This record gives sequence, structure tokens and C-alpha cells, in this order.
Amino acid sequence: MSLRILIVEDEMTIALLLEDMLADLGHEPAALAMRLPQALQLAETEDLDLAILDVNLDGRLSFPVADVLMRRGVPFLFATGYGSGGIEPAYRDKVVIQKPFSLEDLGRAIDRVAA
Amino acid sequence: MSADSEARAPLSEGSRFPLGGGELGALIRRFDWSSTSLGPIEAWPQSLKTVTGMLLLSPVPIVLLWGEDGVMIYNDAYSVFAGGRHPQLLGSKVREGWPEVAEFNDNVMKVGLAGGTLAYKDQELTLHRHGRPEQVWMNLDYSPVLGEGGQPAGVIAIVVETSDRMRAERRRDEAQDREREIDQRFRALVNATSDVVYRMSPDWIEMKALDGRDFLSDTEAPSIRWMDEYLFPEDQQAIRRAIDEAIDAKGVFQLEHRVRRADGGVGWTSSRAIPLLGPDGEITEWFGAASDVTARNKAEQHLRLVVNELNHRVKNNLAMTQAIAAQTFRNAGDLGQAQASLLSRIGALAQANDLLTGERGAEVSMRKVLEQAVRPHCPAAEQCPIEGPDLQLSPKTALSLSLATHELSTNAVKYGAWSRPGGVVSIGWSVYSPDEGGPQRLRLEWIERGGPEVKPPARRGFGSRLIERGLAAEMGGEVRMRFESEGLVCVIDAPLTVYAESEA
Repeated sequence: MSLRILIVEDEMTIALLLEDMLADLGHEPAALAMRLPQALQLAETEDLDLAILDVNLDGRLSFPVADVLMRRGVPFLFATGYGSGGIEPAYRDKVVIQKPFSLEDLGRAIDRVAA
Repeated sequence: MSADSEARAPLSEGSRFPLGGGELGALIRRFDWSSTSLGPIEAWPQSLKTVTGMLLLSPVPIVLLWGEDGVMIYNDAYSVFAGGRHPQLLGSKVREGWPEVAEFNDNVMKVGLAGGTLAYKDQELTLHRHGRPEQVWMNLDYSPVLGEGGQPAGVIAIVVETSDRMRAERRRDEAQDREREIDQRFRALVNATSDVVYRMSPDWIEMKALDGRDFLSDTEAPSIRWMDEYLFPEDQQAIRRAIDEAIDAKGVFQLEHRVRRADGGVGWTSSRAIPLLGPDGEITEWFGAASDVTARNKAEQHLRLVVNELNHRVKNNLAMTQAIAAQTFRNAGDLGQAQASLLSRIGALAQANDLLTGERGAEVSMRKVLEQAVRPHCPAAEQCPIEGPDLQLSPKTALSLSLATHELSTNAVKYGAWSRPGGVVSIGWSVYSPDEGGPQRLRLEWIERGGPEVKPPARRGFGSRLIERGLAAEMGGEVRMRFESEGLVCVIDAPLTVYAESEA
């Protein structure tokens, strides 16, 4: 099933790779946000099935975006270079994938979250 | 000596004097006194006989020095004192019998025979009683003995050796000196160290004293409120546990913990105390030293942050490298070209990373970013004029702009203005407000002229996508590439506020 997915990622090259990977997995990159305000706005307004959140957005943490998504009932996963130690306790039960990740890692994580 | 052996001794005539007198009595009876200035024993004057008889009965070491020469007659107790010199000493002249103290005895004889007395307490002498010099101490009392004529005819000496007591006293004095020295050293150490030093009661209920230097406040009189004084309530339980363990083990207390500093602030200390044990093996007191490790802890904490950040940046860089590699090969026409592009892009990434070596959030000059990205590709300085007001970019934006500019540059070298001699790429930017007084925007133009005629590409590669999609998203604006026939034009139009926000 093709999902509409929000990408929140502050690194340009990784954001573009994520778009390609999602397309390869048969999903639709619905929107891309590289900074927190933009991400908050898209999380609030876009029609989404799922979201992939980088934790650190140019020095600002993306947890407020996670709060918006939880309120809207949109499932999400974290993609981070910090490891699960960088995730705040309130979100420790969420799925986390480590950067750099493979296409298979990403696919499995999306399937777990969307299930 | 038994009566039996005495009976077997060869007796000279008149040998009945002196009666008894132990070993010395027998020796005196047997001695050939006629070879001395005293003459044969039966001819001795009564005074000499009386004194001899008396001293032989005394348990105190006594020696009689008779006549000008001080011929020696002594008792059993004195023979013990005389050691190896006995029995040769009997009947010898005192100055010859004790040659090592001849001078001393010369004075004794002179004073005694002149009717005077001498008394020495703990007199120190070096005697050779056992074939080697030996330091001894003695109480010596000398009195004249009157002869038949009423004139001093000899000197009687009571000799009590006090060496054992003196040696013990000397050892005690030395031990006291050592203790004093150790005490002095200890005080010097306590004064020399910059550490806090403290003393605690055996159960640590009472602090006896604490010298806090400038780190902690001092405790000069014993206090049972020290915990509240120095420790934060939430730390007390854990510290008390460590103390109790040390008390149980009668071992070293060692802990790094928080303390309330003299200025009221939070400090960290590395504290170590040892129990002092009494003769019964029980703890009498604890002595401790505590160093201020606040600065060290802060440095360690900072280092941990830096290491975490470094780890994150490394992972991020690997993720970016992965992304660039994936994109490069995805859009590759042939493998050789893809390989060259990948190496060039990784090079650009590495170079752009130099911009990020500062602290997170440290800004980077836009001119620097552009110059650094363009210069390696530009054939000559006049072929790449760079013009615009100096703006500061966040490191992240700087990195994206750097990578995008690298793509534009390699494209210009391969297909654009820099592929022909004299071709020029003008890079210029300005800040403007579309509405009077409204939010400011940045407009950056990349204009190629003097290259071959340009046709729009049939296929858009990673470079175009990075610029048009990636950079646009990064800067929150629009990025347009126009393939004009006289050269490529790339225009970036983005709100300036993005940077202000990214600084937060």
C-alpha cells in the first residue's frame, strides 16, 4: 500500500535520498521540511499517513513535531545519528532508525510503524 | 663458691682473712699481695682489713683504691660490672687497670687522697670491658678512707651502672624527637596542600575540624551539623552509605561527591579519609583530605558533550556520503563518469566540512562559503567575480550552499562558461524588500556568459535536483535554473528571516 509520508530532515542530501528511497519502496514523499517551523506547519496541515523525523533540526529538537503528529494520530519514526540515547524519555517507545540506514532498514521501520 | 672448693684451694699462711666474701673473698685470700705496694695480707693495717671486709659483704658494686697507686680491691658485684677485665683487675693499679679512663681516675685519686669526695650522676664513660669500646653510664661516689695515721690512705668507690636506664631514656628521647619531626612534617604537609583537610569522630557523627581553604567554609569547633553544612539533602543518604561501609571495613573512605561551596554554589570534591586505630584496634578518629574537582568535572562533562557531538557529526557525514553516493550512481550515465562525480562530490563535502568545525550555531560568512566552493574550479580570478554584501549563514545552510555551488561549478567546467577560455561566471547577491518595510529577502544570481551555446538538458541529474529542490528547501525559498542560450542562469530567492530563525 502506498503511503503519503512527511520527511523532516535538515540535511539536504539525506532528504533527497529519503525521497528516492520512499519512491523505491512504493511510497509517496508528500512533503519535505528542513527546519522546525516548516515541519510544525506541514505536520499540522498536510494529509499524511506517516512521518520520518530527524531529531536535530539545525540545533532545534523535533519533538514538538512528534507531539503534533501524535495528536493527529499520524504514526512516525525517528531517524537520527545520535542513537536512541538522543531521544527524550517520553518518546523512547517510538521506532528509531540509525543513520546511515539502508533501504531495507527504512522499509522494515515503515512497515512496523504503519502496522 | 662452695666451701668444698674453697677447702681445695691452695692456702697461703694467714689466709683466714678475709672471711667469706664470695668469689672475691677467695681470690683476695689467695692473691699474692706481697707483689703489690700493699704488702702481704697478714701485714695489712687494720683500716685496710676493715674496709675490705666491709665491701666484700656489700651487694652494691664497691671498689677500694688503696695507696698512691690506687691498688684495686673489689667485691663480687663490682666484678660483674668489670666484665672481661675481671679477675686481672684485682690487685692492679687503677690507672693501669682502666687505661682508657686513666685521666679520670687520676683526678679521683688526687681528690680522694687529699680528703675530698666526688659524686657523679650518670657519668658517661667509654670502657673496654669486653675487648671493644662500649659507652656506659654510671653513678659514682668516691670517699676517702683514712689510714692508721688518720690521713687518707685510699679511696672507696661505689659504682652503680645506669647504662640500661640511660639507654632507655635516650631511646625515648629519640622517639620523641622522631615524633616531633613527624608531627612537624605532617603540619607542613597539611599547610602545603591546597586540599581541604578534615577530622571526624569514629562514627562520623561529629566533625572535629575542617580547614576548607577557599573551597569550603571552615569548621573550627566540633560540629554534629556538618552534613547539612556541606552536603545537599538529596546527596546525604548515598554519602552516608559510603561512610558506613568504610567504618564497617575500618578501611579507606573514598568518594567523589557534590558539596556546598563556601560561596554557596555547587562544587564537586574527591574526598578520601583514613581511619586512625587505637592500641585496641578500634577507630579513634578519621583523617581526610578533599580536593576541588569542580573544574575537572566541568571539563569532563564538556568533553563528553563534544565527543557525543563529534560522534553525531561523523554519523551524519556518513549518512550524507551514503546519500551522495546513492544519488550519484542512481543518475549515472556510465560507471567511469559516476566514479569521477562521486570523488569530486565527496571532496566538496570534505571541504565544506571545514566550515562546520566551529561550535554548533557558529555562523559562517556567505562570501567565504562561495569562494571556497568556486575557487578550485574557476580557471582564473577574473572569470569568477563574486560580489555582494557580507551575510552570515548558519553552518547547515552554508554546507548546503557549498554543495550546490560545487554542482554548478563542475557543470560550468564540463559544459558551461568555464569550458571555454575567457568564459565568465558572475556570482552576485543582494538583500531587498518586495514590500516597503516588509520582510527582507535574499536574491543570489549565478550567471554564465562566454561559454558554448546552451540547450536545456534532456535529463535532469542529481546536481540540478540538489540545487532546485534541495537548496530551495534548505533556504525556504525558490531556486530556478534557466538554460538561456548564452549561458546558464541560476537564481536563488529566499527570505532572509530563515537565517535569523536558524540561529535560535
